[in-house]
Amino acid sequence: MPSAVVIGQALVSGLLAGGLYGLLALGLSLSWGLLRLVNLGYFAITFLGAYLVYQLHESYGIAPWWAAMLVVPLFFCLGVAQHWVFLRFRVSELASLLVTFGLSVIVESGIQLVWTADYRRLETHYASASFKIGPLYVPVLDLAACLAAAALAWATWAWLRWTYVGKALRASAEDPDIAAAYGVDHKRLSYLLSGICAGYAGVAGAFIALISTLAPSQIWAWLGVVFAVVIIGRVGNPVGALVAGLLIGASESIAMAFLSPAWAPVVSFSALIVLLLWQPDWL
Amino acid sequence: MGNFGRDASRRHVLGGLAGMAAFGTASGGRAAPSGQPVRVGGTLSLTGPLAQTAGIHKIAAEISVEEINARDGFLGRPVEWILLDDQSKPEVCRSLYEKLITVDKVDLIMGPYATSPILAAMGVAQRYGKLFIQNSMGIPRLANYELQIPATPFGSEPNKSYPKVVFDAVAGTKNPPKTVAILTSKFPSAQFMAEGTRDVAKERGLNVLMYLEYEFGARDFGAIAARVKDANPDFLWVGSLGLESNMLLEALKKLDYVPKHHFHLYPAPGPLAMSPDGKNALASTFLEPDEPFLSRPGVKRLADLYKDRATRMNLPYKELDAQAAGMFSQWQILEQGVNGSKSLDDRTIATWLKKNGATTIYNKMRFDGPFNHGDPAQLVKQNQGNNWKVVWPKEFAAPGVSLVSP
Amino acid sequence: MRAQTGLAGAVAAAGALGLALLPMAGMPAFYDSFLYLVFFWISLATSWAILSGFAGYFSFGHAAFFGAGMYTTANLAAKHDVPLLATIPLAGLVAAALGVGIGAVVFRLKRLRGELFALLTLAVTFIVATVILNTPIDGGSGVFLSNVPVPKIVASQSGSIYVLGFVLCAATMVIAWWVAHSRLGMGLAAIHDDEDVAETKGVPTFRYKLAALALSAGIAGAVGGVHAVYVGFLTVGDTFGIAVPLYVVLMSVLGGARHWLGPAIGAIAIGTSLYAFTGGDMAMIGRAIVAFVLIVAILVLPDGVVPAVQAWLKRRRGAISTAPVVVAAVPPVPRMAAPDENAPVALTIRDVAKSFGGLQALRGVTLDVRKGEILGLVGPNGSGKTTLINMITGHFPLTSGTIALGDAAIGALPAHRIARLGVARTYQIPRPFAHLSALDNVALSAVFGGAATSIAAARADAGCWLSFAGLGGKAAALPAELNLHERKFLEFARALAAKPKLLLLDEVLSGLNPSEIDRAIELIRGIRAEGTTIVFVEHLMRAVVELSDRVAVLNEGTLLALGAPREIMRDPRVVSVYLGKDHAA
Repeated sequence: MPSAVVIGQALVSGLLAGGLYGLLALGLSLSWGLLRLVNLGYFAITFLGAYLVYQLHESYGIAPWWAAMLVVPLFFCLGVAQHWVFLRFRVSELASLLVTFGLSVIVESGIQLVWTADYRRLETHYASASFKIGPLYVPVLDLAACLAAAALAWATWAWLRWTYVGKALRASAEDPDIAAAYGVDHKRLSYLLSGICAGYAGVAGAFIALISTLAPSQIWAWLGVVFAVVIIGRVGNPVGALVAGLLIGASESIAMAFLSPAWAPVVSFSALIVLLLWQPDWL
Repeated sequence: MGNFGRDASRRHVLGGLAGMAAFGTASGGRAAPSGQPVRVGGTLSLTGPLAQTAGIHKIAAEISVEEINARDGFLGRPVEWILLDDQSKPEVCRSLYEKLITVDKVDLIMGPYATSPILAAMGVAQRYGKLFIQNSMGIPRLANYELQIPATPFGSEPNKSYPKVVFDAVAGTKNPPKTVAILTSKFPSAQFMAEGTRDVAKERGLNVLMYLEYEFGARDFGAIAARVKDANPDFLWVGSLGLESNMLLEALKKLDYVPKHHFHLYPAPGPLAMSPDGKNALASTFLEPDEPFLSRPGVKRLADLYKDRATRMNLPYKELDAQAAGMFSQWQILEQGVNGSKSLDDRTIATWLKKNGATTIYNKMRFDGPFNHGDPAQLVKQNQGNNWKVVWPKEFAAPGVSLVSP
Repeated sequence: MRAQTGLAGAVAAAGALGLALLPMAGMPAFYDSFLYLVFFWISLATSWAILSGFAGYFSFGHAAFFGAGMYTTANLAAKHDVPLLATIPLAGLVAAALGVGIGAVVFRLKRLRGELFALLTLAVTFIVATVILNTPIDGGSGVFLSNVPVPKIVASQSGSIYVLGFVLCAATMVIAWWVAHSRLGMGLAAIHDDEDVAETKGVPTFRYKLAALALSAGIAGAVGGVHAVYVGFLTVGDTFGIAVPLYVVLMSVLGGARHWLGPAIGAIAIGTSLYAFTGGDMAMIGRAIVAFVLIVAILVLPDGVVPAVQAWLKRRRGAISTAPVVVAAVPPVPRMAAPDENAPVALTIRDVAKSFGGLQALRGVTLDVRKGEILGLVGPNGSGKTTLINMITGHFPLTSGTIALGDAAIGALPAHRIARLGVARTYQIPRPFAHLSALDNVALSAVFGGAATSIAAARADAGCWLSFAGLGGKAAALPAELNLHERKFLEFARALAAKPKLLLLDEVLSGLNPSEIDRAIELIRGIRAEGTTIVFVEHLMRAVVELSDRVAVLNEGTLLALGAPREIMRDPRVVSVYLGKDHAA
């Protein structure tokens, strides 16, 4: 039986790790839910962002948050350009999987060509900084990632709920014909949303660069768990994605505190299955 | 870590290719080998999840081939290396070795790296009776093929021999550990060593406070770190691969905890050397570009060549390390086997090697023990001032270097 | 036509035999292995499509079944010395059992469709992988099969594995073809488009999904069994990685997941492309080039290769054949007298109540419908008419009460059993199966609701019913190509194709123009003349009065009035419900 401090600490680090899952899930969830496009390329773009942040830091000493300021607008344009292709060729939900898989491979190859397949690490003096609340330590960067995820999720949720653009987007997702009949220009809105999603990938990339070590094949390492997070949180629901991320992160971490850590996925995913079978109404 | 612009890197990649194309003409003042080239085929995991260390192996192999051709080639003929990409997939690896042997009809083959590709390729070698030299099979008993030659001196039972070396290393310090915590990735070769380490620790009367296995590819080490801190062992042994050690140490640092003695099995050398959390970390090695190794014949030259090429190829860690050394060793063994036995016949070469051994970057090696292993020579290195220094056994430590105790 | 099929079959058989004997030709072992891997991907992608392509239950968990098969063979052969050939069917069985276990729980829950099903299969994969990793099945050290003898089917080991892979691949293709051309495939296609309607049309959806999952998982397991010896060393990481679940999806999408041949085409394309650039210097750029070609391919052929070819063929054929369409006129039917009070009761409804959460949709309705009767069911919006129809067809379970068809209680039966007992319905807003032709939409009802002995017979029947409904020329059209009126008549045709004893019509006349209404009324009379009992929900009073023998009025979930149409129309309670209290004096 682990001590209370160990359990508390596991909970803290699990929640914060879950925040990162939520951050990664955000853009994927939005484009899946509101544009019906499953963007596998989201992970590749995220890592491309991470590498750019890394490179700007290494070459010019630009701090990661300033680098992110450069990367995010760039990615917004990338997202719009990608969406132009999707619209031009009327890519369906299933076909989008294939297209974005291809994009991921191309980005992965490009990353490997420029940065090699070897590990890259953005070393900073604050990488392992943390502060103390009672007996528990809270790592600063993980907390920042989690807060960024929460802020973005909440802002996106409010934007979708309260603004005309957001309502129009949701209406289009539900029934494009009726929304169009009410004068919603879905095309323009969808460009905007794709750009935003790609911008979120830029933000996530900056945190990945800060928190983890980069290698091209890491692109695929997050796929399974983030997909799970996206679906549990309900596709298209930004706050749901965050909550689901926290849930998975915390349950895995708590399981690691009690059991052999290698068993942790069984606990969190069994819990998930039980939840699905029992009552998914709030899911 | 320098500044690498995109353009610079592309130029360097092209430069590397050009250099490779020119290897046939690089003759070190001697009569260049002539005639039909001897074709040696092999795969590396150039893409996919094992690709992180592909660059290291590729550079070492390219240098080796250039060096061999600058000497006498194989039996006076130039050596041509046919490299294919197995995409980190064992099933592709298997089929590509079949391609090399049955379609390209190469004269000899050279083993890939990492357990899964090695075993996939070794099965093919066995069916076609090919000599199979490999350098990174961490579980020797799985390489149960008579023409298999291990190029790295793990010894036949590293799970028994190496933990003793590690415990000897820390026992000799001013703070010999009484308690141990063992963490390991559930990756075959890591788990294999972790289990051996647990047994040896118990034999030595050390108190094993915890033995934890985590999933290979685990992302969040926060909870594990909390348990380690709670246990506060004198000695933390980590059966890690790649970046796991970095992640664990960072997670520990976030809890404001610095482990006392801590050992890491197969970490990526660059990131752990550079990490501020990696200070005083111990890790396994077979060779570092330092004395006494640089005094071995030819090692200084290889280390310099390697560093130069790694810099040009834009690798983040540019020092010769045990993985590159393993690849050098593979080619040295093959060169001596071919030229020593004066044959390109696989069985003849293997028999000669088992009888005569070979002198490689790892010094004199024997291949006449169980699983064709000789004596183990796995060493302990320590991260001292962002550099890896061999610290144990003492005779392999550079003058003035010793294990820094917490 | 038959000769053509025979020829195609002979060519396929000869080709298969040739491929099976290929390893004896003494080609280099690499080609054995290369082709084996192509067969491997064909089998896996096709097996995935049997559930996920045909029935639309998108699975991310194919690695779980594949891996279960791999580890079954690896453990039995390497640790327990079971002969390899014996382990392969066992590998299939273990995987199929895993699939059935999952399906038996999951397929009962309507809410676990779409993404949630994908999530569930993903979660199951994580769990299976973790269990195998932490138990002696693998334990983390991997399983090495070097000591497992491969049966010498041909001289070389690679050739023998080729033969095993080929046999599995051929069997998979035969199974996929058979499924696609059987009742099962028809049912799965209907489930893909609209599962609730499929169930109402008599498709045993639960059993069919389970069968598809069992087949899908079983094949994947057997393929895994062979693959275990091919690879020779298994680790959990390699086995349960993203490669299998991702590639089977990509291959199926590229080839066309709903067609039995599509996944195979995609598997050949992608499986081969893995070998396009294996040279050491081209590895990275080669991967990018392959990916780029893949993107272009799917942009040009968004529905996949096979559907694109089919569409092209259809356009060509359509351009050639402009044969005149014969529309059978509906024969005038004499007005039949209403069945008398002694006629046997066809449908008995006793105290039927239904609540959705707190909302009481039906509050205890009791009603008898006589055999051969046309009963009009009217009432204001929200009075429970459609709910009552949904209760009779078994779409919703009863909260309380009983329903009997003749002597048989049907209140607790699943919808497809009720359909089979002779209950058919139409939907107020037509719900045809979007990817089935008009003909197959109708044939499906004949297969599952009626007594058609074969699919061919059902199609022949369906042609008659389409003509009967005035859609004779639209047999090959997809529902999207029909206008609303045509879709309404399609609803009719497929309800009739089931040759129902009891036909439930839900506002079939709304949206039709007066002449179409006349035609529809004639149709309905024609149906009754064949002895069918009809309950129809309608707002159009002219039709209610003209058609009904009796009228039942529902209001707020209770039966307000029941009687002859003209009497009912004068009933003050009915008038007040429809027009407000003032008019009820």
